[in-house]
Amino acid sequence: MTHLIELYGAMLVKAIFVHLAYVLVSVAAATVVALLLGVLLSRAPRIAGLVMPVISIFQTIPGIVFIGILYLYLGMVPVTAFTALAIYAIFPILKNTYAGLLGVEEKYKEAARGCGMNARQILFKVELPLAMPTIFAGIRMSTVYTVSWAVLTAMIGLGGLGEFVYRGVSTNNSTLTVIGAVPAALMAIGLGALIDLIQKKVTPRGLQEVKN
Amino acid sequence: MIEYRNVCKNYGDRKIVKDLSFTVEDGQFAVLIGPSGCGKTTTLKMLNRLIQSDGGEILLDGKNINDINAEELRTHIGYVIQQIGLFPNMTVEQNITVVPRLLKWDKERCNKRVRELLALVDMDYDTYAKKYPNELSGGQQQRVGVLRALAAEPPVILMDEPFGALDPITRDALQDEVKNLQKRLHKTIIFVTHDMNEAIKMADVILFMSDGELLQKASPEEMLRAPANDTVREFMGKHVSQGVAGQDNIPCGEIMRKNVAKVSDTWRTLECVQLMSSREIDSLVVVDDSDRYLGVVTIEGIKARGKAGASVRNILETTVPTVRTDTLAKEAFATLDSTKARYLVVLDKDDRAVGIITRTSMSKALAYMVWGGDAV
Repeated sequence: MTHLIELYGAMLVKAIFVHLAYVLVSVAAATVVALLLGVLLSRAPRIAGLVMPVISIFQTIPGIVFIGILYLYLGMVPVTAFTALAIYAIFPILKNTYAGLLGVEEKYKEAARGCGMNARQILFKVELPLAMPTIFAGIRMSTVYTVSWAVLTAMIGLGGLGEFVYRGVSTNNSTLTVIGAVPAALMAIGLGALIDLIQKKVTPRGLQEVKN
Repeated sequence: MIEYRNVCKNYGDRKIVKDLSFTVEDGQFAVLIGPSGCGKTTTLKMLNRLIQSDGGEILLDGKNINDINAEELRTHIGYVIQQIGLFPNMTVEQNITVVPRLLKWDKERCNKRVRELLALVDMDYDTYAKKYPNELSGGQQQRVGVLRALAAEPPVILMDEPFGALDPITRDALQDEVKNLQKRLHKTIIFVTHDMNEAIKMADVILFMSDGELLQKASPEEMLRAPANDTVREFMGKHVSQGVAGQDNIPCGEIMRKNVAKVSDTWRTLECVQLMSSREIDSLVVVDDSDRYLGVVTIEGIKARGKAGASVRNILETTVPTVRTDTLAKEAFATLDSTKARYLVVLDKDDRAVGIITRTSMSKALAYMVWGGDAV
C-alpha cells in the first residue's frame, strides 16, 4: 500500500484535481449554455420541436468518437477536453430546463400576467423558480455523466483519472485501473450528493414536495 | 366606471363576443353569468388585456385601456382565478406582496399591508405569513388569492370563477367574506360564474350572456322576477317561480290544501271525535247544508264544552282567520304570521270552505317559489 502511494500518490492527487477541474468547468459552462438555450427554446416551442430531436441524435455519438474528431481540429490542448465534455454535458441540462419550463402550469403564468408581471419578470420570478427542481435534476445527471466521460480525455493524453484506467487496461495492470476507477466513482457519488444538498438549500419549502 | 362599447372578439371565424356594450358603476358588484362558452370569461379577460379585444373599446374611468401599458394596467386591476394560482415558490407574505413589489413599494409598506390584509380575513400574521401555499387549505389559499388581488389597492378587481374549486361550505363562507370586503372597501368587482345561486347572492347587477351577447343586465331581484327571454329563464331554471311575472300575485287558492276535513253542523260530538281520530287531526271545518263555512270544531272545544251526543253547533269556534281564494298568498302569510292560528280557512266567493292553509303548506309554497320543484 505504502509502496503504491509512493509510486502513484502525487500523480493520483494531480489526476483527481485535473479530473475535477474538467468536470466542474465543463458542467458550469454547459449549465450556462443550456439554461440560455433552454429558455430560448421554451419561448419558441415550434423551433424546439425541430431542434431537440437533432440534439438528442447528436447525443448518441459515442464520446470517444467526438473527442477524437475534436482532437483532430483543436489538437492536444485542454480546450479540446473542456469543449467536448461541456457539449456532452449540455444536453441533459438543456432537456430538463426545457421540460421544466414547459411544465410550469398555465395557472401560474396566467396569475403572474394578471398581476402585471412582464415576460422577463414571469421568467425569473415564476417560471425558473418553479422549473428549478427539474433543472437541478439535469445538472446532477450531467455532472455524474461528465465524471465518467472525463475518463476519456486521457485517451488524447490530457490526463485526469482516465490515465490510470488506460494505463491499467493497456498494460493489463488491474491495480492501476482500480486506482483510476474508484476515485472517479467516489467523485460521481460525492458531486451528486453535493448537488442534492445545494438543491435542498436553495429550494423553498413550498416546492420541496416536488421530486424528480 | 367601466364601460364596454361595441366590444368584439373573434377566434378565426368564431365570434366569441359580439358587439358587447355595458357599463359597470364604481363600487358595483357585477356578475357575468351564462352557459359555458358564452364568452363571459373572454369578456372579463379583455378588461385587463389578458385577451386583446378585436373591436370596439373598453374604457376604464373614461380612458381607453388600449392606451395604457398592459402590465401597468394589470397592476391596477386585481385578478383572482379559479385555480387560485398562488406561486408555490413564495410564502403567503410574498404572494400577497407580488403586485406591491412590482410597484416598488418599500419593505416596510409591504409588510404593513400584509398585516392589514391578513387581518381582514382573520388570518393571524405570525401563523400564516411565512407559510407556503401547499401548507394551507383550499379555502385559506383562495383567501390569500383574494388578498393578493387587493394588495395594491386597485379600485377594480376581476374574479374568474374564484370559488369554483372549493367545497360548498368553504365557498359559502368565502362568498360572504368577499361580499363584505367589497362593500367595506367599496371595490368595483367583475365576477364570472356559472352558478346562479352565487350570482344572486353576490351581485348588485347580473349581466347575463349567451353566445357572445348580453341578453340582460339587471339586479338579481329583477332578473328573477322578469327574465328577458327563455334562455335566461331556462338558465335560471329553478330559481324562477312559475308565476314569473309576479311572485307577488299568487293567490291563496293556488297554495291551499284542498282536502279539508269538513262536517255538517248537524254532526254530533262523538262522530266528530271519531273522524278526527281516524284522520289524525285535531280540528274539523264545520259547514251548513249549502256548504257555507260556519266555523271549526276542535278536540279541545269538545273536551271542554261538548256533551256526548250533542250537536257541534253549540261549540263552534269562529276565531280561525279566513281568507278568500283570491286573497294574495303574501297577505295570508302575514295573517298566519301575526296571529297564533295554526291554519287559515280559505273561502270561495260563495263562502264555501274550499281549503285550508297551514304553516306547512305556506312553507312548501315559499320553497317552491324560491327553489322550484313540485308545488304543494
